[in-house]
Amino acid sequence: MLKIEHLSKIYGDKKAVDDLTLHINSGEIYGFIGHNGAGKTTTLKSVVGILQFDQGEIYINGKSVVGNPIECKREIAYIPDNPDLYDFMTGIKYLNFIADIFAVSATDRKERIKKYADLFELTADLAQPIAAYSHGMKQKLAIIAAWIHEPKLIIMDEPFVGLDPKASHLLKGMMREVCNAGGAIFFSTHVLEVAEKLCDKVAIIKDGRLIRSGTMEEVKGDDSLESVFLELEEELC
Amino acid sequence: MLKLLLKKQMTEIFRNYFYDQKKNRARSKFGIFGYMVLFVLMMAGMLGGMFTYLSLTICTPFAAAGMDWLYFAIMGLIAILLGTFGSVFNTYSCLYLSKDNDLLLSMPIPVNILMFSRLLTVYLMGLMYSSVVIIPAVAVYWIKATLSLGVILGSLLFILLISVFVLTLSCALGFVVAKISLKLKNKSFITVIISLAFFGAYYFFYFKAQTVIQKLIANAAVYGAKIKGSAYPIYLFGRVGTGDLLAVISVSAVIFGLFAVIWAVISRSFLKIATASGNTSKRVYKEKAVKQRSAFSALLVKEFGKFLSSPVYMLNCGLGILLIPLGGVLLLWQGSSVISILNSIFGERVGCTPLLLCAFVCMLASMNDMAAPSVSLEGKNIWLMQSLPVTPLQVIYAKLSVQLILTAVPVAFCIACMAIIYPYTVIELLLTAALLLSYVLFSALFGLFLGLKMPNLNWTSEITPIKQSLSAMLALFSGFGYTALLCVGFMLLDGWKLGFTGYIALFGAVTLILCAIIWLWIKKSGSNRFARL
Repeated sequence: MLKIEHLSKIYGDKKAVDDLTLHINSGEIYGFIGHNGAGKTTTLKSVVGILQFDQGEIYINGKSVVGNPIECKREIAYIPDNPDLYDFMTGIKYLNFIADIFAVSATDRKERIKKYADLFELTADLAQPIAAYSHGMKQKLAIIAAWIHEPKLIIMDEPFVGLDPKASHLLKGMMREVCNAGGAIFFSTHVLEVAEKLCDKVAIIKDGRLIRSGTMEEVKGDDSLESVFLELEEELC
Repeated sequence: MLKLLLKKQMTEIFRNYFYDQKKNRARSKFGIFGYMVLFVLMMAGMLGGMFTYLSLTICTPFAAAGMDWLYFAIMGLIAILLGTFGSVFNTYSCLYLSKDNDLLLSMPIPVNILMFSRLLTVYLMGLMYSSVVIIPAVAVYWIKATLSLGVILGSLLFILLISVFVLTLSCALGFVVAKISLKLKNKSFITVIISLAFFGAYYFFYFKAQTVIQKLIANAAVYGAKIKGSAYPIYLFGRVGTGDLLAVISVSAVIFGLFAVIWAVISRSFLKIATASGNTSKRVYKEKAVKQRSAFSALLVKEFGKFLSSPVYMLNCGLGILLIPLGGVLLLWQGSSVISILNSIFGERVGCTPLLLCAFVCMLASMNDMAAPSVSLEGKNIWLMQSLPVTPLQVIYAKLSVQLILTAVPVAFCIACMAIIYPYTVIELLLTAALLLSYVLFSALFGLFLGLKMPNLNWTSEITPIKQSLSAMLALFSGFGYTALLCVGFMLLDGWKLGFTGYIALFGAVTLILCAIIWLWIKKSGSNRFARL
């Protein structure tokens, strides 16, 4: 589904991502963890085409994000770490805008908006301008927008930040549904307990380099993900 | 703390002068100097030149008649009008709508310090606009009339008092707009209507002023005595410029007193207004049938939505939408007498009149420059355009289309009005229409080119990309430059020898070639730049 091959991204003199290779298959929830500034967001932004990288290649379903950016973007959805949405739109206008961009039919979008807005208890607020939304409401709206075109691959940067416990629980269920339907999820998080319980595979990144990856069992063994992560951080200091 | 906040405000306003976003590093000293010189040339050269000419015209007769105070009063009032006009729309957005208000209010920063740093931006804008009137006026007075220590001190204080009074007026109007906005649903439109009323009043006084000034020059002594008798504060105000101590003390007391009052009013309500989410009732969502739109239509609707949601954007970049049709109506109403006046002035040079009509419409069309700040206005939302399956060119084309639609339609109306009032031949009319529409295309493309060349996505107030950016300013002044070139080329550079049709055909062709060059740049480099923002 997603192949990141020898990805490198340099800012000035600093290598934000250094020769990163990761393969994410259909049906997998892949967690991406690392300390602040480790290169997680840079990697995710490179995958979704926001950042242009210096070396390597990224393929989505066999298509290069450099060679076929639009076709790749059609198959994915992205939720950034901070949901900066169009404040001047109402929630419903924003969802319709995203649906138009992804050419979602009127019937399908109506059904999906109803389903997910009801699920996140956001229906009553859809006529409100986004400027009036709280951070959590914006995050919920970003999630609904991401799901509106039924993407095969969903890329999320700290998706649980700002969500209430119920919404977090719902999101986890929705992530699993996507994978059960043959899709894949690649997301970054600092909440290691969530990663441990939710992810099929996990990758740990430090200073732009991949230091460990694999199935949850391969990475943590009998320990907790938190202790493995902290050990690795100390070892490499 | 105040120093830090001021530094933040100044860095935000002048960021493009010191920082090259494309290269992600500070500009060279030469680059900074170049940008500054360009800015000064535009402000001092164009606007300052205009008011220097006015000062030169009226200074000597007033000084000779012993009516120096009237000269200062007139120039001072014009400076106040222009300064307030230039900064009034900043106050509301700068003071109450800045995106970092919540962040700064959560910090241990006294509200007064925060307000002061915000209002300094408004003050500087007011000072800049009022200075282009009053500094030339003072300089001309020193050269043409009197130069003594008292006059120097008085006139310098006069400049300061005017800038403080402009700030006071801007604050008062900004406060009124903020209070009204809290209570209304369609804030954007109401703000625009209030502001347009202000514009209308400004232009009414501006046009009246020319007649009044002419009358004043002719009968300075009579009118001077009348003003002194019935509007004594204006007399005192004008006397400040001449260095009259009593006037200096009384006018300073009044202006600083007024400022203290408005400061007290604003500081008392600042927290409430800046943190208010609005008292309007919540709109309840009702499911409605929607039609699926194409990606481009969705982008276009989004761009229109952005434009219509922001009074600052509409007022600063879309004034032409109103002025162009008004110009057309004006032509229908007064066109025949204007044409006969122009014919009597330029009668021997055939083609001047239709050319000036073209220049008139170009000038009005220059007031629309919504494409220039549109790239920067993406701000922190830029990730959406970059991660959604749309090409940079589609996004750019949507931005371009907004300006084209909002300018070409009123211009087409104006062309129809021109066709009614002026006896064009078919060829002349077609070429006139082609020239004007090619200019509409050129101004939109050039604005977008500037927006892509000088993007600023890191702003906390929309006023920064809309009004305080070099790209928006260049877009506006390039329109005026184009209009001036159109006239100069015909009247002073022998363009008239080509005849009206030959000249506008040539000018239109050059414009279209420029359009093609800019479009090719946008298509190749511009879209790449957008993708890399």
